[in-house]
Amino acid sequence: MARRAFWRSGEPEEAGRSRIRHLDRDRALVDAARIDPARFEGLYRKYLAQVYSYAYYELGDHHDAEDATERTFVAVLTNLHRFEERARPEDGEGASTFRIWLFRVARNVVADRHRARTRRPETRLEAAATVQAGPDPAAVVERREAAGEAWRAVDRLRGDRRRAIVLRFVEEMSTAEIAGVLGRSEGAVRVLIHRALRSVARELGGDARDEPRGTNS
Amino acid sequence: MTAGPRDGGEIDALVTDRYLESLLALGVGDPSDAALDGIPPARLRPDVRLVSDRLRRDLPRFHPSFRFEERVALRLAEIAAAMRIPQASGGECAVVPISIASRGRATATPIDPDELVVLFDGPFDERLERMRPLLIRGALTSAALSIAGAAYVAWRRTRPADTPMARAVRAVARGRPA
Repeated sequence: MARRAFWRSGEPEEAGRSRIRHLDRDRALVDAARIDPARFEGLYRKYLAQVYSYAYYELGDHHDAEDATERTFVAVLTNLHRFEERARPEDGEGASTFRIWLFRVARNVVADRHRARTRRPETRLEAAATVQAGPDPAAVVERREAAGEAWRAVDRLRGDRRRAIVLRFVEEMSTAEIAGVLGRSEGAVRVLIHRALRSVARELGGDARDEPRGTNS
Repeated sequence: MTAGPRDGGEIDALVTDRYLESLLALGVGDPSDAALDGIPPARLRPDVRLVSDRLRRDLPRFHPSFRFEERVALRLAEIAAAMRIPQASGGECAVVPISIASRGRATATPIDPDELVVLFDGPFDERLERMRPLLIRGALTSAALSIAGAAYVAWRRTRPADTPMARAVRAVARGRPA
């Protein structure tokens, strides 16, 4: 039982379930929007930046990201009656919350966008990055360069590796949530992220390249 | 799920996951050492730890323009308003033309059964004049129409006439078991 040493409170699966149970935090907003669709605005304002960030990391283009964001929220509003929350502990890895469902929709919309064009453009951090300006211009430049390096390293990851890293670090999703969005098991997501981090470490260390293109896991 | 044997990669992935969970729960200014709490340092790969700290600190987040935000908010509000009409009327609905029972008359006045004819009978041109869109299957309209419809059918059955509606009522009445 070596892995018990790494988890302070029981089995990892139990920890994952407890996280899922906590994740039905949007229930009140979802219920309100179902009764009165005008109340959907609360969910929109809450998740706008997250969905836009995800779309921008995926598409690398400001206009495409905006279009995908708009399509995502319109689809979610008009299909809200179809959303079924499954956030009980017994739902385990099949759990789904509003946030997971929202990002699944966003993922599908982005995939449609990908199919509509021949190749993914080189991302341009400079075109959209909003690194906060501070009183020290040198610090701002340094911060921007650091953000640019991190961005490029993640951008070179392929498929679900990139998505998992973005969902983990930018959206700050739990492993259970990422598993729900990507349609993988929690164990698979943990391995995916671990391998992606090693790949980014090599990239930032300047001594290695990512796995061959097309590798998804 | 049962705990089965795991290879080194899976265990490394578990350790990394545990570290990330703690790391991302920290505040922006907190030292990343705090995320090591409970994790044997020797089990966490140094390169993974370094890059995790860096991505947490450096990966940018984006926000669309406020003009975009407000434009989409407006569009969603319009869609929501369109969705509220059927919801408010009790579910699925259709807009159909139907004539008004009486023109220039207070609606609170009790309806004389004879006036129910006006709902369905009368010259076609006159009926067109009295038509306006009305939501059907609404919580209020359906109840009102049901009462009016039942009253009309009962009244028409006792007053034979040779209008299409009267023939339809008689046909329906004949089709029902006594």
